[in-house]
Amino acid sequence: MRGSGRLRLLLVLLVLTAFTLTALDYRSAGGGSPFDAVRRGSDTLFGPAQRAVGGVVNSVGSALGGLPRLGGYKDDNAKLRAENDRLVAQLHETDGLRRQLDESQTLLRLKDTGTYTIVPARVTAVGSSLGFEWTATIDVGSKAGITVNKTVVNGKGLVGRVKRVGPYSSVVVLVVDPDFSVGMRLLRSGQLGIATGRGLGPLGYQLLGQNSRAAVGDPVYTSGSMTFEPGVPVGRVSSTNADPNALTPTGSLQPYVDVTSLDLVGVIVRPATGTPRVPIPPTVAPVPSQTAGPSATPSPGAPLATATPTATPAP
Amino acid sequence: MTGRRFLLGAATVLTALLLQTTVLSRLPLPGAAPDLLLVLVVAYALAEGPLSGMTTGFIAGVLADSLADHALGRLALVYAVVGYLTGMIEDDSDRSTFLPFLAVGLGALGGVLVFAAEGVLLGDPRITLSALGRSLISSVPYAVVLTPFVVPAVGALVRRVDPELIRR
Repeated sequence: MRGSGRLRLLLVLLVLTAFTLTALDYRSAGGGSPFDAVRRGSDTLFGPAQRAVGGVVNSVGSALGGLPRLGGYKDDNAKLRAENDRLVAQLHETDGLRRQLDESQTLLRLKDTGTYTIVPARVTAVGSSLGFEWTATIDVGSKAGITVNKTVVNGKGLVGRVKRVGPYSSVVVLVVDPDFSVGMRLLRSGQLGIATGRGLGPLGYQLLGQNSRAAVGDPVYTSGSMTFEPGVPVGRVSSTNADPNALTPTGSLQPYVDVTSLDLVGVIVRPATGTPRVPIPPTVAPVPSQTAGPSATPSPGAPLATATPTATPAP
Repeated sequence: MTGRRFLLGAATVLTALLLQTTVLSRLPLPGAAPDLLLVLVVAYALAEGPLSGMTTGFIAGVLADSLADHALGRLALVYAVVGYLTGMIEDDSDRSTFLPFLAVGLGALGGVLVFAAEGVLLGDPRITLSALGRSLISSVPYAVVLTPFVVPAVGALVRRVDPELIRR
C-alpha cells in the first residue's frame, strides 16, 4: 500500500468509523449504549491485570509513605466531635430553637459515617485521557455488590462516585473531575449549595440561597441526594467570590481528599439506616476500616443523649 | 504484515495501556499524565509509516476509550490522525536525531488539540480553556521525555520481528 491516495482513503475511513462510534455511544450516554459489551469486555480483561500491576504500584507507593488510610476515620470522627461540641454550645446561645434542633440532628447524622456499610477497595488505575479526565479504577465490581452511582469515600472524605461497574472492577469519577457535581451543605449555617469539580485543585461551589453566605474555612458536607449519601465531608471553603452582581454566592472549596495519592477507598453500598440515637461516648468508637460487611448499626430506638458535656442548656 | 508483527503490535499496545493506567497516570506530576500510548503510536508511525501509525493508533485508541469515561472512538480518532500525520513527516526528510522528538512533540500537541476539538463539538463539560492550557503545557514535554525510551525500542523490535516493514 504505497499510494498516498489509498492511505488517505483509509485515514478517512478510520476517522469516520471513530466518529460513528462516538456518535452512537454519546447518544446513549447514561445507559443502554450499544458498546456496553465492549466496555464490559475491557473491564473484565483489564480489571485483574490492573489489579496485579496496580497492587505492586500501591505497595511501592505505600512504602514511600504519605498515602491516606481508611483508618483515618478515627481522626475525622474526633475532629467532627470537637466541631459538634463547639457548635452545639453556640446553638444554645442563639434563638430559633427549631433550627437548633434540626442542626444538631444534621450534625448527629455526621456520626453515621461509621455506620454506613462500606465495601473497601484499592485504587488500581487512574484515567487521565490527555489530562482532561479524573477517574480512578478500583478493584471491586458487581461481584462485590457495587452498583452505579454509589458514593466512594476514604478516611478523609468524599472521593467520588461510581460511574461504571465491571465484574471485578469499577470506574469512579473523582471529585475534581469537571463532570462531577454534588449537593453540599455548609456545616456551620446549614445552607445548601452545589459543588462542582474544576480539574485538579479546588472545587467551585454555588450556594442556592440568595442570602446565603459562606466564610473561608467553613467545612462542607454532602447534603444527600439520590446519588450521594448525606454527611460525607467534602472539603473546606477556600475562597469566596465577592461579586455583588452574582445571582447567588459562589467561591471555591479545597477538597479534603488528595486525588493524586488515592490508595484505599470505601464504596458505600448501603446507607445508614437512620440517625443514631445513642449516647456519643467520649472516646472514639472503632470504625470499620478494612473489613467488608455490615457494621454495627445502633438501634434507631435508643434514646438520644446529650452529645456534649460543654453545652449548657439555655433557659 | 506477518503474524509475529501483529503479535508485537498487540503486546506493545496492551503493555503500554496497562503501564499508562496503573503507573504513569498515578505519578504525582503536575498537569496531564504522560501519554505512553501516543508516543508508542508515533514510534510505529516513524518506524513503518502512516499505514502502521494510523491502524495502531485506531486500535490503541479504541482500547483506551473502552477503559476511560468518555464516548467510544474519541481517542481512536485522535491516535489515528496522529499516527497518520507523524508517519507522513518522515517521507520527505532525512532521518535526524531530533526528528523523533519533533514528531512526538507535534503529535502530542496535535493530539490534545484534536481531542479538545472533539470535546467542544460534543459539548463535553471537561473541555475548558484552562484545562486545555494545562494539558498542553504538560503533555508535550512529558511525551518528548518518553521519546528516547520508546522510539528506539519500537524501532529495534520491529527490525527484529519483521525487518521488511522498516522503511528508509
